[in-house]
Amino acid sequence: MDELKKVAVRAENIYKSFGSLEVLKGITFEADEGDVISLIGSSGSGKSTFLRCINLLEAPTSGEIIVGNEHIRLKKNRKGKIVTADRKQVDRVRTKLAMVFQHFNLWSHMTVLENIIEAPVHVLKKNKKDAKDRGMELLEKVGIADRYHYFPAQLSGGQQQRAGIARALAMEPDVLLFDEPTSALDPELVGEVLKVMKDLVKEGRTMIMATHEMGFAREVSSHVIFLDQGITEDEGPPSYIFGKPESERCRLFLSNLV
Amino acid sequence: MFDLEGYGHLLWEGGLLTLKVGVFSMVIALFLGLVMAMCKLSKIWILDFPAGVYTTVIRGIPELVLILLVYYGGPTLIQDFAAMLGRDIYVDLNPFFAGSMTIGFIYGAFATEVFRGAFMAVPRGQIEAARACGMGPFLAFRRIQMPQMWRFAIPGLGNVWMVLIKATALISVIQLPELMRSADVAARSTRKPFTCFFMASLIYLLITILSLVFQQWAEKRANRGVRRE
Repeated sequence: MDELKKVAVRAENIYKSFGSLEVLKGITFEADEGDVISLIGSSGSGKSTFLRCINLLEAPTSGEIIVGNEHIRLKKNRKGKIVTADRKQVDRVRTKLAMVFQHFNLWSHMTVLENIIEAPVHVLKKNKKDAKDRGMELLEKVGIADRYHYFPAQLSGGQQQRAGIARALAMEPDVLLFDEPTSALDPELVGEVLKVMKDLVKEGRTMIMATHEMGFAREVSSHVIFLDQGITEDEGPPSYIFGKPESERCRLFLSNLV
Repeated sequence: MFDLEGYGHLLWEGGLLTLKVGVFSMVIALFLGLVMAMCKLSKIWILDFPAGVYTTVIRGIPELVLILLVYYGGPTLIQDFAAMLGRDIYVDLNPFFAGSMTIGFIYGAFATEVFRGAFMAVPRGQIEAARACGMGPFLAFRRIQMPQMWRFAIPGLGNVWMVLIKATALISVIQLPELMRSADVAARSTRKPFTCFFMASLIYLLITILSLVFQQWAEKRANRGVRRE
């Protein structure tokens, strides 16, 4: 290809331990602009933790994270624990990496529209009226514009997650991180969320998702990573992972589904 | 039987003073409670430790002892100290301020624990979502944690207020003519202790019942959007 793709996120040799429990054991990963990367694997394989390391909700025990062209600075605190060194840098980088959570985490004391304009207004310092207009466009896009004045508790799980996606989009992020976005939903509500996500894929957005939706991962991903016990056990295009992966564990994992 | 022989206005004024002492003390208690709770949650030793000493010591001493200690003990302590330096001074505390400050200081310790529990009750995911869109810790605290905390704090604060109002009766020992003291004066003058103290009880009850109505309204407001109607 003559067009050189820009790197959106790179992670090198990420380790993460919680106490004596080692969750990530050296993961190296790269997402270029426009990539749709699925992280699959059984519960406890480290997919969520890895995703949370990318936007520094968890500081890796060792390793390097590069977002765009920013190298995230880490340091040891007095107790010898690795923490992020520059809070301003982390806050800035996080505005470019919007996250969609498994349990939505919409702010319960705000209406849907207030949820969506909160960070654009208070973090990106956008004008409130513009933020509202953009917020309504996004709600239109995820199909819940008529619910803009509802509180999260008044919405179904699927509607809440779509609001969560709209909230992430409102940051105009470079990369979207999805942490098992449909795992907390009733089965009949999964489809409406996946449909919104599929639209985002079509727009060419850079997406990294931890997911249990194998059919979806197979359909939309440009690259699939199978994590097992904290390491990248196997990876490749979906046709490879869902076809004839080399890893025995990966084959076993996929055959145990369904 | 319920003739107050012209002492009704005394009780009424006593009730108003009780309410004033109560509100003043509560404002102090809320302020102290909020600050101390934040100190306790800060994980910064120099803030956390004094706040811990405050709540432990204050909650462990009876109100009456502290009121007497501040009102009678405070001035003598200062006078003795001045005498040691060769000065002869006379310190007189205003019973309203001494009493309210002491009550506020005591109930601030209880409010601290209420606030601390309330801050911890805000689900982690709410704060994570804020941090994940680039909010700094202070912005997330102000915009997300603080407004959500009230929902968990109000029932406990209502409780603090009820106990606080009743504790103001203790200030009668330092001659402040609040409701308890006024009822006592009226009872002695009219020789009708039942009537006077019964009326005082009713006034206390009136204050607390009205407080409950206010609390319900506040709870409903703080729960906006959380519970379905």
